[in-house]
Amino acid sequence: MGSIQLDHLTKRFGETVAVEDVTLDIADSEFLVLVGPSGCGKSTTLRMLAGLETPTAGDLYIAGEHMNYRVPQNRDIAMVFQDYALYPHMTIHENVRFGLEEEAGYTDSEMDERVEEVAETLGIDDLLDRKPGELSGGQQQRVALGRAIVRDPEVFLMDEPLANLDAKLRAKMRTELQRLQADLDVTTVYVTHNQTEAMTMGDRIAVLNDGQLQQVGEPLELYHEPANQFVAGFIGEPMMNFLHGNRADAGFVGEHIEYPFDERLERAVDGVDDLVLGVRPEAVDVRRADESSAPNLGPHEFEMTVSVTETHGDQNILSLTHAAESVDHDVLRAVTDGMHIVKPGEPVTVAIDPETIHVFDGKTGKTICNRRIETARELTI
Amino acid sequence: MSQSTPDTNIDVASVVEDVNLRRIGHYTLIIFFLGFFLLPLVTGIMTALKTNEAIARTVPFMPPLGGGFTLANLEYAFSQLSHAFINSLLMAIPATIINVLLASMAAFGLTMVKWRGQLVILILFLIGIFVPYQAVLVPLARFWNNTFPLADMLSPLFAGIPLLQSYHADLVPLIITHVAYGIPICMILFRSYYQSLPNSLVEAAKIDGASITKIYRRIILPISKPMFGVVFIYQFTQIYNEFLFSFTLVSSASSPEAPVTLIIPAIGTSTSGIDFGIRMSAAFLAALPTIILYVAFAEQFAKGLETESG
Repeated sequence: MGSIQLDHLTKRFGETVAVEDVTLDIADSEFLVLVGPSGCGKSTTLRMLAGLETPTAGDLYIAGEHMNYRVPQNRDIAMVFQDYALYPHMTIHENVRFGLEEEAGYTDSEMDERVEEVAETLGIDDLLDRKPGELSGGQQQRVALGRAIVRDPEVFLMDEPLANLDAKLRAKMRTELQRLQADLDVTTVYVTHNQTEAMTMGDRIAVLNDGQLQQVGEPLELYHEPANQFVAGFIGEPMMNFLHGNRADAGFVGEHIEYPFDERLERAVDGVDDLVLGVRPEAVDVRRADESSAPNLGPHEFEMTVSVTETHGDQNILSLTHAAESVDHDVLRAVTDGMHIVKPGEPVTVAIDPETIHVFDGKTGKTICNRRIETARELTI
Repeated sequence: MSQSTPDTNIDVASVVEDVNLRRIGHYTLIIFFLGFFLLPLVTGIMTALKTNEAIARTVPFMPPLGGGFTLANLEYAFSQLSHAFINSLLMAIPATIINVLLASMAAFGLTMVKWRGQLVILILFLIGIFVPYQAVLVPLARFWNNTFPLADMLSPLFAGIPLLQSYHADLVPLIITHVAYGIPICMILFRSYYQSLPNSLVEAAKIDGASITKIYRRIILPISKPMFGVVFIYQFTQIYNEFLFSFTLVSSASSPEAPVTLIIPAIGTSTSGIDFGIRMSAAFLAALPTIILYVAFAEQFAKGLETESG
C-alpha cells in the first residue's frame, strides 16, 4: 500500500515560492513522472515527499498516513539521488547494507544475504568488494538503485537518476528501471527535466512550471490533449510549432501566415481575439513545390523555403521559412519521412490539416481547442 | 598557412637563445633565496656540532673540522630536555586529539545539521578566533589557581596512575586551555571542508535511517580523514610550540612539569655567558617532533590541502 496524496502542498523559501498549491493523487504501484524545466519545483516536491524539506502549507500522505513532520526513516521510502550519493569510503557491499542496519528484524547474516540477493538482481554481485570510486557511472547508478531497493520500501523517489549517464546508457537504464519497477511493483515518483524520459517511462506524467501543477495525465493524453500552451510546448520532441496572431473574419491572421478556420475551429475560438495556433512538426505536411509558375494552393497550404535540414535517419527535421522573407527567421519546423530528402534552399509546399491544429488563448495560454484524434485511422496508400 | 615541417635537426642556436638575461635573473634570485632561508638553518646545525672554541674561531656556517666537532652539546641539551619532551608530548598529543575531534564535531553540527540559533553559535566561534592570548592570561591563571584549582584536585589521582607522576596533573588545565583556544580555528578549517562535500551524502544517510550521530560516526568522520591530517599537524605544532599559556600556568622552568618551550629560553645561559652550541642543539632537538610529524603526514597534508581548495 504505497499510495501518495499531496493535498494543496506549498513550499516557500523566504519570499520565493518553490511549490504552490499542488494537489496530486498517486496510486499504489504507479510510476509517476514529475517533469518540468529547471527550477519548476519538481525536486522540492520530491524532497518534501522524502522528508528532507518540511511543507510550508498543505498536507502530505503516504499510504494514508499524515507525513508532514515525520522523519525520513519512518516514511518507508527510498531515494535515488542524481549524483548517486554513494558513501565513498565504504565498499559497495557496505553501501547497500547501510540502509538495512536501521531496519528492524534483520540479523547480520540475513543482512548480508539480502545485500547479495539485491546485487544479483541488479547484476552488481561481482562489484561488492570495490569502492564507488572504482566504478563506472552506470555501475554506480546500479549501486544507488540497489541501496534503494534493499530495504523493500513502499515508495521509490528518484531525483533525475539518469541525468549523469551518457545517452546510450541512459536509454538502456530507462528500460531497465521500468522493468525493475514493474517487477517490484513499488510506487515510484520520478523527477526529470527530460521529456523523453517522462514520455517513455511514466504511467502518468505531472508537468510542473513555476511551482504550479500544469497538467497530470497519461503520456499520450498530455501529448494530444495538452491543457495549456506550456504543456504543449514541453511535451514532444521536436517542440510543437506556435504561431502567434489574432482572430480575423476569415480565421487566423499571424505575422507570417493567414490560416482560414474550418467549422470546428470557428466554433471553438468564438469570442477570443488573441490566439496562438499550435501544430506538431509531425502534422506539418511538406511536399516539393509545383514547377508551374502559378502554383495552385489550397486554403491550408503555404509556399515556404527549407532553411535547415537535420537528418536523423528515420526522419528528417526541416526548418521552414516563409518563401518571401529572409532566410534567418524560421516559421515552422516539420518532421518528414527519412527517405524524403529536401535540401536547404529548396522551395516547398506546406500543408497543415485543420484537424491537427491546437488553439491556445494568447493571453492565458490555456487550451481553447485541441486537435481532433481519429480513433481508427484509415490507411491509404 | 599550415606548417608541417618536422623538426628533425636540433638547432644549437635556439638552445643558446634560451639562456637569456631573464633566465639568469631567475636563477640568481632562486639561489639568493635558497641561501637566505637555508643559511640560518645550516649555521644553527653547524653551531650545534661545534666546540665552544670552534664556534669562536670559525665562520658560523662552515662545518666543524678536525678537533672542532663534538656531540657533547647535543648530549647535554638532550639530558636537560628529555624530561620536558615527555611533558610536552603528554600535553600536546591529548590536547590536539581532543581539539581536532571536538572541532570536527562542531563543524559537522554547524554545517550539515539544521537547527535554530545556528548562526549565533557560529558567530561566537568566529569571535573566539580573535580574542588575543594576552587578554586572557591573568584571568586564566586566576581561574586555574584560585577559582577552580583542577590540578590540585587531580594530583592525588595522577599519583596512582602508573608511569605518571602527581605533578603531571598540572598539565591538565593547560590541555583544557589549549583545547578551548584551538577549537574555533580548527572548526573553521573543518567547516570549509564539510561545505564542499555534497549535501546528498547526508541526505542519503538520513533516508537510510541513520541518526545524526551515526551519520557523523559512519559517514562524515571517515570521509574527513585527509582534513584530520591537516588540522592535526597544524594544531599539534601550535600547541607544542606554544609558550605563553605554559609560562602562565606552569609555575617555573625548573618545575618538573615544565614543557620544552619553557626550558629552551633558559638553556645554555649562565653568568659566564651564552653557550651557543647548547642553545642550538636544544633548539633543534625541540623542533624534532614537529618535523617528524610533517614528514610522516606529508602525503595526508598535501591531500587535505588539495581537497580543501578543490
